[in-house]
Amino acid sequence: MELANTLSQDGESRGGVLAHLERLETQVSRSRKKMEEPQSAQAEESALGTRIHELRRLRDKLRAEVKQHQASVKASTTNVEPDQTLEITEQESLKRKWENVKAILQAYRFTGISGKLTSRGVCVCISTAFEGNLLDSYFVDLVMRKPLQIHHHSIPVFIPLEEISAKYLQTNIQHFLFTLCEYLNAYSGRKYQADRLQSDFEAFLAGPLQRNSLCNLLSFTYKAEPEGQSFPFCARLLYKDLTTTLPTDVTVTYQGSIFF
Amino acid sequence: MCAKQMDETVSEFFRRTILKIPLTEMMTILKTWNFLSENQLQTVNFRQRKESLVQDLVLLCEENRASLNDAALLDIIYTQFHRHQKVWDVFQMSKGPGEDTDLFDMEQFKSSFKKILKRALKNVTVSFRDAEENAVWIRIAWGTQYRKPNQYKPAYVVYYSQTPYAFTSSSQLKSNLPLLGQALTIASKHHQIVKMDLRSRYLDSLKAIVFKQYNQIFETHNSTTPLQERSLGLDINMDSRIIHENKTEKERVQRVTQEIFGDYPQPRLEFAQYKLETKFKSDLNGGILAEREEPLRCLVKFSSPHLLEALKSLAPAGIADAPLSPLLTCIPNKGMNYFKIRDK
Repeated sequence: MELANTLSQDGESRGGVLAHLERLETQVSRSRKKMEEPQSAQAEESALGTRIHELRRLRDKLRAEVKQHQASVKASTTNVEPDQTLEITEQESLKRKWENVKAILQAYRFTGISGKLTSRGVCVCISTAFEGNLLDSYFVDLVMRKPLQIHHHSIPVFIPLEEISAKYLQTNIQHFLFTLCEYLNAYSGRKYQADRLQSDFEAFLAGPLQRNSLCNLLSFTYKAEPEGQSFPFCARLLYKDLTTTLPTDVTVTYQGSIFF
Repeated sequence: MCAKQMDETVSEFFRRTILKIPLTEMMTILKTWNFLSENQLQTVNFRQRKESLVQDLVLLCEENRASLNDAALLDIIYTQFHRHQKVWDVFQMSKGPGEDTDLFDMEQFKSSFKKILKRALKNVTVSFRDAEENAVWIRIAWGTQYRKPNQYKPAYVVYYSQTPYAFTSSSQLKSNLPLLGQALTIASKHHQIVKMDLRSRYLDSLKAIVFKQYNQIFETHNSTTPLQERSLGLDINMDSRIIHENKTEKERVQRVTQEIFGDYPQPRLEFAQYKLETKFKSDLNGGILAEREEPLRCLVKFSSPHLLEALKSLAPAGIADAPLSPLLTCIPNKGMNYFKIRDK
């Protein structure tokens, strides 16, 4: 239509022609552009397309990497777990060992003489027994000093501790402990026997059991049979040796007349 | 067999002994005495006025033909329940060297003891009551050649067999003490007897001191509760903005106190007495007192309802320096609460 416009104005045909040519030029450039646009668009499109492809590839690559990492982590954790459980078992085994040692230390008292280190020395425990029966335990707390001292103890007052200490404590502590052990075990054994006599043989006893602190003199009246007519005997047991559980002298007397 | 009327004096002795017993303890003590039977006790109204109750009980005793010895036994039981009412001394006996094993026969001891006293004093009442741990309580009512024993001022002796210690209630009749000592020594087959410088109302504490039984805490592997780290008595709830400036000193005091007095309950004593006979000592030159040739005499007495616990709390309370003077801390160890301090 522009052509018509330009031709109608002949007077200005030059202007018109140049303008016409200009217009034609712009037309051509426009149509060229239009022709190019799909190309650029295409180019753009293809560029984008390649970009998409690239991104997709990258994504797939990264995905693959993640998967690989995960897999490797999984694999590594399954490899790490046995290591950790190994640590735990080590801890457990140490704990078990410690408890075992503690139990052994506690069980040492069954040997008769045991001890525990204290801040000032050692606390010795003498555990007495008689015929397989575990009896009382006695303690001597020693202070490791020159001269060796007894800090405090639970030895009964009628056991000759001063005598035994005077003899052996400074010169031969082993002998001191063994002698003390002897006296205490013997005392415990005699006491146990006297207690058993009083309780288990009550039916045979005709009166109370006379005893003393060391249980080294027992005096009682007994019948051979708990019931029935049997004659009472008076028994007197003397234990002159304080380190034994058996009497050194036994006297059995009978008073009264026998009827036939 | 004619029924013997109870002697007036014995009846009166019963009356006064039963009257002493507080109503709250009446049943327990009578049951321990075990002289009146259950049935007899049930016939008595224990809710009546004390005088009437005592009368009823004395009548029952007369019915049972109670003897002086039975009354003495009741007196022993009353004293055992009220041992703190008496002040106890401690005697220590010793044997000669190389003695044979002590074959202590309680019956022999009792008869020997009684015989020795009766031989010396015609008029004396001796009664025995066996106690736990192979001990015996002895009651002695003293008389003279011409006078019957005074039942209202008896002496008591507590003796644990096969030990060198005897505990006696301070008798008002001090003249009989040597005889008592002699009887004890011979009957228990010892050679010598010595009075210790130890006295207290608390018989059980005296026993704990001389038998060395006051510290019975021992470390073992078997103890379930290990010796805990001592809590320093510093409030745990203390505001964190408050700091103890002398915390180290407080800890030191606690540690020293614990080392000396231990973690165990202290035996109970009421006093410690120090008789000083020392010359005056002064840093300053001259002065009348310093020139004095004769030593100064003074008596220092510490009294407390529980002396050793009080001494233990002195340093932690900040009243005294730790460690305390060994004159104070040696009391249970040495078995003394009477001291004579002289210039060396």
